[in-house]
Amino acid sequence: MNVNSPIVITGMGIVSPLGCGVDAVWRRLTAAESGVRLIEHFDTEDFPVRIAGMVPSRDQDGEAGLDEASVISPKERKKMDRFTVYALAAAQEALAQAGWAPESERDQAGSATLIGSGIGGFPTITQAQTTMNQRGYKRLSPFTVPAFLANLAAGNVSIRHGFKGPMGCPVTACAAGLQAIGDGMRLIRSGEAEVALVGGAEACVDPLSLASFHAMKALSTRNESPSEASRPFDRDRDGFVMGEGAGLLVIETLEHAQARGATPLAVINGYGTSADAHHITSGPEDGSGAARAIERALKMAGLNPEDIDHINAHATSTPVGDRAEMASLRRVFGEHLRGIPISATKSATGHLLGAAGGIESVFSVMAQRSATLPPTLNLNQADEALADLDLVPKTARQRALKHVLCNGFGFGGVNASLIVSGL
Amino acid sequence: MSRKRVVVTGLGMVSPLGNTVADSWRGIVNGVSGAAPITHFDTSAFTTRFSASVKDFSVEGYYPAKDARKMDPFIQFGMVAGIQAMRDSGLEVNESNSHRMGVSIGSGIGGIGSIEDGAMLIEHKGPRRISPFFVPGAIINMISGNLSIMYGLRGPNIAITTACTTGTHSIGYAARSIMHGECDAMLAGGAEMATTPVGLGGFAAARALSTRNDDPKAASRPWDKDRDGFVLGDGAGVLVLEEYEHAKARGANIYAELVGFGMSGDAYHMTSPPADGSGAALSMRNAINDASIPVDSISYINAHGTSTQAGDRAECQAVKTIMGSAVDQVAVSSTKSMIGHLLGAAGAVEAIFSVLAIRDQVAPPTINLDNPDEGCDINLVPNTAQERPIDAVLSNSFGFGGTNGSLVFRKV
Repeated sequence: MNVNSPIVITGMGIVSPLGCGVDAVWRRLTAAESGVRLIEHFDTEDFPVRIAGMVPSRDQDGEAGLDEASVISPKERKKMDRFTVYALAAAQEALAQAGWAPESERDQAGSATLIGSGIGGFPTITQAQTTMNQRGYKRLSPFTVPAFLANLAAGNVSIRHGFKGPMGCPVTACAAGLQAIGDGMRLIRSGEAEVALVGGAEACVDPLSLASFHAMKALSTRNESPSEASRPFDRDRDGFVMGEGAGLLVIETLEHAQARGATPLAVINGYGTSADAHHITSGPEDGSGAARAIERALKMAGLNPEDIDHINAHATSTPVGDRAEMASLRRVFGEHLRGIPISATKSATGHLLGAAGGIESVFSVMAQRSATLPPTLNLNQADEALADLDLVPKTARQRALKHVLCNGFGFGGVNASLIVSGL
Repeated sequence: MSRKRVVVTGLGMVSPLGNTVADSWRGIVNGVSGAAPITHFDTSAFTTRFSASVKDFSVEGYYPAKDARKMDPFIQFGMVAGIQAMRDSGLEVNESNSHRMGVSIGSGIGGIGSIEDGAMLIEHKGPRRISPFFVPGAIINMISGNLSIMYGLRGPNIAITTACTTGTHSIGYAARSIMHGECDAMLAGGAEMATTPVGLGGFAAARALSTRNDDPKAASRPWDKDRDGFVLGDGAGVLVLEEYEHAKARGANIYAELVGFGMSGDAYHMTSPPADGSGAALSMRNAINDASIPVDSISYINAHGTSTQAGDRAECQAVKTIMGSAVDQVAVSSTKSMIGHLLGAAGAVEAIFSVLAIRDQVAPPTINLDNPDEGCDINLVPNTAQERPIDAVLSNSFGFGGTNGSLVFRKV
């Protein structure tokens, strides 16, 4: 097998606040629907933040809500946290589309699983603390540890689908999903894997995570109008909205895909990652760290900045973050940036942290395939410094696209960028 | 694409046997146990009341105590081990090389103690009392983040978590970055501080821990017939990995070369390995193939050997499968018999012990190995270290979720 054959995507799966299934989610995203709503799974009465991008259940959303029973039996469900359930659902969809169900020892050993997560089974830990406190430690479930470990999304997916190759879980905060994709590409290039299931899963909306992001003044408190809370680039933005879900891709070389008769959906042309080496929670104002990741991705893809037709921005809806990202884009793209439409899909889904790169790379592929730019919701009036840019406000637009850049940046000053291209 | 060679030029460690590499290694070759009763929280209601915890730890001489107060202990351990490794390597970071250096330090669990305290605070005092430093003080990638900021390391910045394989995978991925020419040096390793109420309680509920409360130092006994589970340990290990020519050009002290890395998934069960050890064997084989060395050049294996019934037996089986007729010449030991199981830091501290085994030509012992289990009829270095010629060393880690990793180091 030629490990230098282009790396292509042959399957995609998504679980998100806009529902489940790539087609339904994309239809809703391009119809400018929002997945942000009031939190119902715990009492938020005392909380300054009462909204999040929660995954709808089948009861709440008959068309595209998550049908948990189709993913996992009630008995198995007790052994895992939500982020793992979301990963299992997204994996099911992605692998079905790719038509990859390895049976021979060789194919199984060549199948890698890399599912990142910012924090893993955080709600299991906080719940365990409460259980111990109120009822004593002997009431802890024996599945507490395997439920909270962040690598157990990858672990459970690998067990279910017989993936015996390399397994991993980047936990680089909000860059984890994209780093998982980059790690998977390298495993294929080095010949350690032939197929990799890559992306991210996150489900950590719980009292402590909400309170702790709020303590950093990072979250929007627009509780009265949830669907308007996530508003990247807008003057009136006041922080990000936490979201949950999973986004996974099946990747392999074009040669491998063709040999087994699979249909490639897009090419992953470039990947780059870097560190700001600046501050634990904010990027440098000049955007130099993020720019290095983007430049590396362009270099790997063999592209010039002007070749990029669309950017799915990290854009979380925090003033500092949005500005730093734009500085990095201006640094790399210069004058060309004005002509490149930039969408912030977190305006519709909220910020899925470690899963953000997973779902946003799916959106990047769908934008390219359907020649449609997803909208940036709630963008009434762009920040002054961004007034010259095309930020795809409010409604989707048709446009033929060849190369799409997708960004993900995380606490700790970690940056990752991916370039997906048409075939 | 020609592959670059990767060597080890710096080491740092905080362990149950001491807060430096030298102190920890002295304990290891002398067969000392670091296990003791837990004193940092009330364990009276728990079935297990001891651990292999870090003792007399302080960040003094490394970085300001006021910064440390905002960080979970696992981050503090990782930072100190990282700083020790940087100092040991003599690497100098400047404007012209900083983008060629990165960090890859993970943790199996991360800031579990901080999360527990946070949950308690919310329950008792409400959501508005949480500190703004909570998130960056608890999340796993903050050792990589903080060390990158401290030294200005602008290259790849990653943090992997694969349960008990974290340290090994973190080192392997860092080595790959250097081999592929993306950078010239990486700080790589793992850190853990999970001896907290939920950490201890969770593993106890999974019936994974030894309950030998009357004799903690005899509790971790890999391959011994009387083993009854593992002993939780805390600490951190960090290595400086460097491109060979880069290290040679600056006259660095080279401990060993990292010649092979392999991984695999069991695809079998969340918490148990298959009895034949096939997943572990695949990982070892991948690492040996990657190293392109004959199996019989491996003279020492630092085993995962956690002291659990199923795990120890499966690994022993896997070693026999891989080594074949060369199994008679290899020494296999579990340093977890002395430091317990450091989870996400285990692979990192054990990689350091592997490197030092090459430097000092000594195989560390497996203590408490009085009556080897049936089938465990290989040289498990019982109770006393063995001086022997050591050319290449294999170090194994296996984790929940069925995730496996192996590293091969060789004398330069």
